[in-house]
Amino acid sequence: MPSMLGVFDQPGPVAEAVDRLRNRGFTDLEVYSPSAFPELENVHDDKPSRVRIFTLVGGLLGVLTGYATTIWMFYDWPVTIGGKPFASIPPYTVIGFELTILFGGLATLLGLFLVGRLPHGTFGRNDPAYSNRFSAEEFGLVVSCPERDVREVDALLRAHQAKEVSLVEA
Amino acid sequence: MTPPPAMSVADAIQPAPESPDSKINRDLLRPMKGATRGYFLLLGLAFTSVVAAGATWIYQIYVGLGIGGYSHPIFWGVYIVTFVFWIGIAHAGTLISAILYLFRAKWRNAINRGAEAMTIFAVLTAGQFLGIHVGRIWKAYFILPYPNQRGLWVNFRSPLEWDTFAVSTYATISLVFFYIGLIPDFAIARDRSTGLRKLIYTALAVGWQGSSRQWKAHSRSVLHLSGLATPLVLSVHSVVSWDFAMAIVPGWHATIFAPYFVDGAIFSGFAMVLTVMIPFRRIYGLEEYVTDYHFDNMARFLLLTSWIVAYSYIMEYFISWYSGVEPEQTAFWKRAFGPYWISTWIMISCNCFFPQLLWFKKLRTHLPTLFMVSTLVNVGMWFERYVIIITSLGREYDPAVWGIYTPTWAELTIFAGSFGFFSMLILLFIKAAPFIAIHEVKELAIHARAHPGTAVHGAGVGE
Repeated sequence: MPSMLGVFDQPGPVAEAVDRLRNRGFTDLEVYSPSAFPELENVHDDKPSRVRIFTLVGGLLGVLTGYATTIWMFYDWPVTIGGKPFASIPPYTVIGFELTILFGGLATLLGLFLVGRLPHGTFGRNDPAYSNRFSAEEFGLVVSCPERDVREVDALLRAHQAKEVSLVEA
Repeated sequence: MTPPPAMSVADAIQPAPESPDSKINRDLLRPMKGATRGYFLLLGLAFTSVVAAGATWIYQIYVGLGIGGYSHPIFWGVYIVTFVFWIGIAHAGTLISAILYLFRAKWRNAINRGAEAMTIFAVLTAGQFLGIHVGRIWKAYFILPYPNQRGLWVNFRSPLEWDTFAVSTYATISLVFFYIGLIPDFAIARDRSTGLRKLIYTALAVGWQGSSRQWKAHSRSVLHLSGLATPLVLSVHSVVSWDFAMAIVPGWHATIFAPYFVDGAIFSGFAMVLTVMIPFRRIYGLEEYVTDYHFDNMARFLLLTSWIVAYSYIMEYFISWYSGVEPEQTAFWKRAFGPYWISTWIMISCNCFFPQLLWFKKLRTHLPTLFMVSTLVNVGMWFERYVIIITSLGREYDPAVWGIYTPTWAELTIFAGSFGFFSMLILLFIKAAPFIAIHEVKELAIHARAHPGTAVHGAGVGE
């Protein structure tokens, strides 16, 4: 199936073109952008990113680990210090808090890699449609479509201010 | 209406014209290329001081902590002072990248990378001082809870143990945050370099292409990390302050300590960001990206935090008087008029008086003045920690055990080496990765082009 690449200067028209293409039934889309723009996030699906699940699970694991290890360690070698109970919740809260952040942050990093599918591709090789211009200041919209639709897609991209449209050579 | 002639696939293939690289890429990648003689001179200077400090440390490990100025009852000296100082410096980076991100303060985009780099390097510098301070470095791992033959665990009720967890969490999360922000910029550098550099950036960029799936996960991760880092940054210096406040030493045992330390940390951190950013902008001619508007904003932050610090000083003195507790009153009286009066008055004048110059907009954007004030604030904040630690320990309850501490050459060499270490890392980083976050500046620039007439500072479109 051929892939068409439209190059844009602004994120707004790209987002409009993506909407139109999806409505027309073209779902194999990819957008390259030089920076993060909220309007370009929902090319593949409209759901919020699943990274949030990673952060939540990481944070909960962290707080559990923090309290569990501190309490367990004091019962493992029970020495009374200053007449305080072995399971002293206020001081252990500091550890629980720090581990919430630590585990939550590391899980977020893991989430970025898994949800964002990084590392991407083969080492040192970019996608066929990718070029240096998309790490400059231009936007690329790649549409895979049957050969008979090439003309329609070309017209649609140009109608949304694509400054050039080309066929991607695989 | 006649349909247009059918278009074959071959007709659709047009050679994509080679477009020139964007101005922002060229401008912000420029500092990474080449190096002047001045750069090497500075790097050499920094490196020399690191070597001197390293040699002194080795000597100290060999002969023991006796070469420091410790004398009863003062066993926390310049090393702990400098540790707290660098941990404080480390706070501006996360404040700028996380808290200002959550507040959608877009002006942060031009300065956050540099500030985050300073955070990482300051934490690395600070961390070493714990090792230097404990003397027997080969036993430093005792602080970690690890299963051992004696079946003992660490004391989780000790603020020093909390500090271990807080500082190591802070270092890790700052590094994660820093790396996530760098991935898109590594990809920019990868696309524009050759040879070994390209290989390294390709590895670091992990196949980043700015696809929508990647950006979606990236934006979410940055948002969540900001949410996590915001309470973290407030907790770290609170925990550092509890290293002191949990003890019953007069001058330390105060509930105001946590907010007082956090504010002081932000104050000194912003001062350090200014101290580094002002020469950086001038040397590399990046006036379009780091504008007077940024300096004005940072100067306002400095002024605000200076007043909070001043309020804390006033409160400390007021409460010690109002408490009616004689050792508290004596400790504070001796701070201002005892043997360490010079340190105290340097602290008050640098942190409270000189920043008042920043009430005037002309001076906030007059960089030599701003540079001078920020340097003085750094001096003042180091002395603040010196005053809090040394004078309090030296004037405890019983006058029979009062003492005097004077830093020795060894401590001062290692202290100077910490500045060398920090500067060395900053200088190397300028050559290794973009010191201004390119992809974040582009976000502003593209937005500014889409909505002409809106004020966007630091988007490189000032001209």
